[in-house]
Amino acid sequence: MTESEIFSRLTDIFHDVFDDDDIELTPDMTAEDVDEWDSLSHIRLIVAAEREFGVSFSSAEVANLENVGQFVALILARNTD
Amino acid sequence: MSWDKFVLENRAELQFNVSSAEMDTFRILSGDTNPLHADDAYARTLGFDSKVVFGALIVAKISALIGAHIPGRGGVWTGLRIDFRKPLYPGETVTLTGTIDSKSDAARMLTLKLRADTLDKCIATGSAEAVFRGDD
Repeated sequence: MTESEIFSRLTDIFHDVFDDDDIELTPDMTAEDVDEWDSLSHIRLIVAAEREFGVSFSSAEVANLENVGQFVALILARNTD
Repeated sequence: MSWDKFVLENRAELQFNVSSAEMDTFRILSGDTNPLHADDAYARTLGFDSKVVFGALIVAKISALIGAHIPGRGGVWTGLRIDFRKPLYPGETVTLTGTIDSKSDAARMLTLKLRADTLDKCIATGSAEAVFRGDD
């Protein structure tokens, strides 16, 4: 799986979780950039990504993420493990 | 309860039955005046044996299962999908079971398989999601 494929599938997840098809993911995007990105939507993002990509994350891995680009990198690394 | 105590396939169950008086109370609370839930004769014209219990009262018991049993204290209910498979009639005893189907450590979220059975039929199946914010 390529980084662009992950971005594409993750974009669909963001659109679904935030019910907003206008969200465009960028590597440096953070929760500050999306009005509705609160703790519960954050949980939905994590769980939806785990299901979509068939992976599991630890709480430490997720806690250390600083932006969307790092999330994509984590998914990519997990898919190539 | 700590997060690590939740293990796949662990389950909790509760039994309940719904009385006609509880049906009347819920009718007032919800404003759902459908005679399917109040009038035996009308319900029979639709092919049922008698008036049918409000599906939302089954959901109310799912709330009790999640809030008081699994995950219980510290749990925050975040999602539900349910299929009502057979009618439930007032007075029938129901066993409601929640089984841990998946667990996300990163999100501290449990997904539960749900099933509600009377003695001779499965009345509902579904799934629920609950985040655990309790103490470790």
